[in-house]
Amino acid sequence: MDFYFSLAQLIGVHTLLGLSAYIVLLTGQVSLAQAGFFAVGAYTAGMLTVLAGWHLVPALGASALSGAAVACAVGFPALRVKGLMLVIATLAFGEGVRLFFFNFDYQVAVDGIRLGPLGGEGFRQIRFFPENGWGTGEVMLFMWVFVIAAMALLWWFDRSRYGSVLRAVGEDELAAQSVGINLTAVKVSAMTVGGAIAGVGGGLYAHYTTHIEHSSFNILVATFAIAYPILGGLRNVFGTLLAVIFVQGFLVEGLRFMGDWRNLLFGALIVLAMNLRPSGFLGGRRRA
Amino acid sequence: MLDFLQAVSDGVLFGATYALIGIGFTLVFGVMHKINMAYAAASVGGAYCGLLVLKVMAGAPAWLVFLGAFAAGGVLGWMVYLTCFHFIPLSSPLATLMSTVGMLLLIDEVIVHVTNGMPQNYPLMFDDVMLRAGEFTLRGDLLLVFGVSVLVMIGLLLLLYHTRLGLATRAVSQQPVAAQLCGIRLVRVNALTFVVTGLLGGIAGALIGASVGMLSPLLTLPLTVKGLIVTVIGGLGSVPGAIVAGLLVGGFENVLQLYRGVTERDLYVMLLLFVFLVFRPGGIFAPKSGRD
Repeated sequence: MDFYFSLAQLIGVHTLLGLSAYIVLLTGQVSLAQAGFFAVGAYTAGMLTVLAGWHLVPALGASALSGAAVACAVGFPALRVKGLMLVIATLAFGEGVRLFFFNFDYQVAVDGIRLGPLGGEGFRQIRFFPENGWGTGEVMLFMWVFVIAAMALLWWFDRSRYGSVLRAVGEDELAAQSVGINLTAVKVSAMTVGGAIAGVGGGLYAHYTTHIEHSSFNILVATFAIAYPILGGLRNVFGTLLAVIFVQGFLVEGLRFMGDWRNLLFGALIVLAMNLRPSGFLGGRRRA
Repeated sequence: MLDFLQAVSDGVLFGATYALIGIGFTLVFGVMHKINMAYAAASVGGAYCGLLVLKVMAGAPAWLVFLGAFAAGGVLGWMVYLTCFHFIPLSSPLATLMSTVGMLLLIDEVIVHVTNGMPQNYPLMFDDVMLRAGEFTLRGDLLLVFGVSVLVMIGLLLLLYHTRLGLATRAVSQQPVAAQLCGIRLVRVNALTFVVTGLLGGIAGALIGASVGMLSPLLTLPLTVKGLIVTVIGGLGSVPGAIVAGLLVGGFENVLQLYRGVTERDLYVMLLLFVFLVFRPGGIFAPKSGRD
């Protein structure tokens, strides 16, 4: 049973990652910076619970805030460029964050043991869950509260005026601008919300694995983040969830019996899926 | 001062490979307005295929391996076009981005699978040659990298500006619809662009293998990032821009490696990119009429 709980935890974390890219994709921007915000959130929450002794819930709040702040700060210069330039700019930002944590040392002695991030060795001993005696089932429920909250938030956005504005910008920037929508404000706000969601996801991820290092936030994570909403389609948030379950549940875990060949199949299936359904599993006829 | 000069010259010589990778990204962008994320992986894949020559013919000379990589790169380029672009409608940019990322993962995994994840030695050329001027030295293998890159670039520029295919390619990159009305077959030009960039990539991969001394699938992701950075700094769609930016990035990173160490080096390359994005978003050779 623990295996399924832990799989559900992983799916939860990745859903948050996918949702953070989903809202940015709604505005028509492809951001490969989500892994960066994810990393900022993970390190923030980890340092607060381990080094400052905070409870996890306020620490996650702090990681949401820090993710949002970084996303907002990146959004302004990066969103000056559009389309493929933005892909590259955000890719470079994500790599920059990873390299920053690769060189980041901040160790403090807690109860005589030196804890904290240590450059390339990463940040070990993020043991909030075991120290407080949480079982895997409880941790899973705790995580899914956040996942469902994020999905509900984005679902509500989609039904509200704000969601229409986001999609309007995504469909046609010029038309949106001509009806008086402030493009920069919309794009940066979407980026900020995405950063907050990725920050929470990162905080949960750090406590779920108990050990984070720079390579847990590489380009692959960033591509996974945009892969979920693209594979699932942008019609609603469930496409993202479906894609996460398909990728993490079926491709990564379900095909484990295939051993090495599984990894080969993974890339090939993405290529195949995009050839067959260019606008995602649940995508309608709308232009992505 | 001498260390500085040495670092700059070594970096610029190695930067020629970045320039080749950057050209590949930029040509595809110019013609199709798409990014081929699988390009650097296909280049490294081509270089791996070059090693097959050694399998078939033990003790084959190094230039034959290079030739094998060159040819294999072209074939891989065409395959990437067929699997990631041909059947996907042009109006869904996200789909091709994703399919090429899938291809990048696939090529990476095929390499890991075939080689059991072990780095492969690559045949060296001129590695015993050293040009000296007092304390200042030029490594022979880096000179070879630079020389071959320059030859390949000259070949590419001749192809682009002095052949019918080049004319068609430039026409498509300027006005796809008008080019089609003039009887240019878009699909054929697109496919040939991928073959040409694939050939360049195969050579670039082989040169990187030869100057590093080995090939590893770990090379593909950093190379993808560097190639994209070079493309942006040079200006998307500009071939001369990619060449200059490649040499610039190569020199820049090597100098920072000297002063700040290998772990921090790439951080400064990212910063360089952001400086360009903020102050000169169009790149060094920004086209006059702004296009996306």
